[in-house]
Amino acid sequence: MTGFGAFLRKELTEIRRTWRIWVIPGMLVFFGVTSPIIAALTPALVRSMATSQPGLVIQIPPPTARDAYVQFIKSLDQLVLIAIIITGAGVVSGERSSGTAILALTKPLSRGAFVVTKVLSQTMLLVVATALGTAVCLAVTAVVFDAAGAAHLVTAVALWLVYAVLLIAVMTLFSAAFQSRGAAAGAGLGFYFLTLLLGAWGPAARYSFLGLVLATQKALVFESQPLGWQLATAVVATGVVTVAAMGIFERREL
Amino acid sequence: MTDDRSDETAAIELRGLSKRFGDTLALDRVDLVVRPGAVFGFLGRNGAGKTTALRILSGLARPTAGTAHILGHDVERATDTVRARIGFLPDVPGFYPWMTAREYLEFAGRLFGIDQATLDARTTALLEMAGLASVTTRIGGFSRGMKQRLGIAQALINAPSLLMLDEPTSALDPIGRREVLEMVASLRGRTTVFFSTHILADVERVCDAVAILERGRVVASAGIGELTARAAANRLVVEIEGETGVVAVADALRGRSWLKSIETDGRTLRLAVSDLATAQREIPAAIAAAGVALRRFEIEETSLEDVFVELVGGPGGSGGPVQ
Repeated sequence: MTGFGAFLRKELTEIRRTWRIWVIPGMLVFFGVTSPIIAALTPALVRSMATSQPGLVIQIPPPTARDAYVQFIKSLDQLVLIAIIITGAGVVSGERSSGTAILALTKPLSRGAFVVTKVLSQTMLLVVATALGTAVCLAVTAVVFDAAGAAHLVTAVALWLVYAVLLIAVMTLFSAAFQSRGAAAGAGLGFYFLTLLLGAWGPAARYSFLGLVLATQKALVFESQPLGWQLATAVVATGVVTVAAMGIFERREL
Repeated sequence: MTDDRSDETAAIELRGLSKRFGDTLALDRVDLVVRPGAVFGFLGRNGAGKTTALRILSGLARPTAGTAHILGHDVERATDTVRARIGFLPDVPGFYPWMTAREYLEFAGRLFGIDQATLDARTTALLEMAGLASVTTRIGGFSRGMKQRLGIAQALINAPSLLMLDEPTSALDPIGRREVLEMVASLRGRTTVFFSTHILADVERVCDAVAILERGRVVASAGIGELTARAAANRLVVEIEGETGVVAVADALRGRSWLKSIETDGRTLRLAVSDLATAQREIPAAIAAAGVALRRFEIEETSLEDVFVELVGGPGGSGGPVQ
């Protein structure tokens, strides 16, 4: 894959010098800070609502570190995944429409290297941002609550990350396949909701990556679970989708 | 100048090259040979097929039929070999706006695997050539002319054997256009330059040879001098004594098999002919038969514009105007 190193260096510099450094990392750090605080304040907020309605009594157990982690994972499962879909929709189609891909691809940069670099650079950004967000969440949680169950949060985040990397590969495929960023984003949202829907079906959740989102939540409630099928199929699917994206982009005329 | 040659490998060789988009035939069995070292103009109206041909040559699109070779290599098979030896500038170059000109040239050079010392020297020289050496702002703030000059510089970073430019001056103001043409002219003798344009003056100014593309077909390909001389041989100016005989002479000539067109203006007749020798015999005879005296009979001087208009049918055709 000629040109791989030079293009990866460009991608990483671009992340550092443009809006890309702020969106996903910013979201993760924000949720890392706010999740424990929201968890701590939620009972007080609910009680204040209850006092405004005479006769209504709400019993809420005191918040714990686990509530903070659940709040953080919920944000990852919803908002961060949607942000990955939206930002990933333009990774290839954006370069195509702006003409930057033409200048790069008429040099000794293979289209396969172009696609792989896109997947790899986004994955690197996500891994670093997730590690940072998780560390912030753990630190703030330790201040607000007694530090407990950190290993479970790390496990849950790691499982989420496997699914998120698959989503990055899927979005790169859609971005290579569709002419417009909007169409790629639409297809990505369709994929996201479809996996949520199919993940509710027991056999699919047990034997495929579709069960990863559910597994993430189970990890937080300290349920031990076999994860071999989910992880293996996610890794294989990521590879297959990346190769498919390379094939589609190879055939596409620019 | 653009004929087949067996003693040296052609910089570009197209054989029966066709490209179809649905019902539209963008290129129709194009045959073209560009000799190495030439500054070659690829002239045609907007929509004639120039960009499609360049996209195939640069590996961005595939032909429907036929072959395209660059420096002896099939562009479909030897993609890496071809890309390593060409420089390409599309009609609207897209740069990363967050980079500086120097950073972009370094990025382009790294894609070619050029070592750092060579890259540093080449980047500095190319920035000088492009008039961007003192510019430290990011490309996002560049004018169209600056981007075009940077575009040529990035296309030269690998010291290419063939530089392909797609409409490099089409959207520039007169000063930007002059700067780009001067850059192109300065490359004469150092590399083969193949550039598409619909601006006749640009071709006349910097090109050694030209091919004219019309509706996807090459309608002429030769050195500029040869092409204008060839066309001139088919255009005659005849002046006679007195205005009264002009109509009689024109009427006498109309309908002759060798006559393509005839215009009258006062005492002058302008004729386009298909058989010069026959015309040279029959026109004086027709003038004598009409009983008028011949004052001037000469082959008309022809510009590239005349050749172009004659070949593609004038600016009112299917494409955009030719400047």
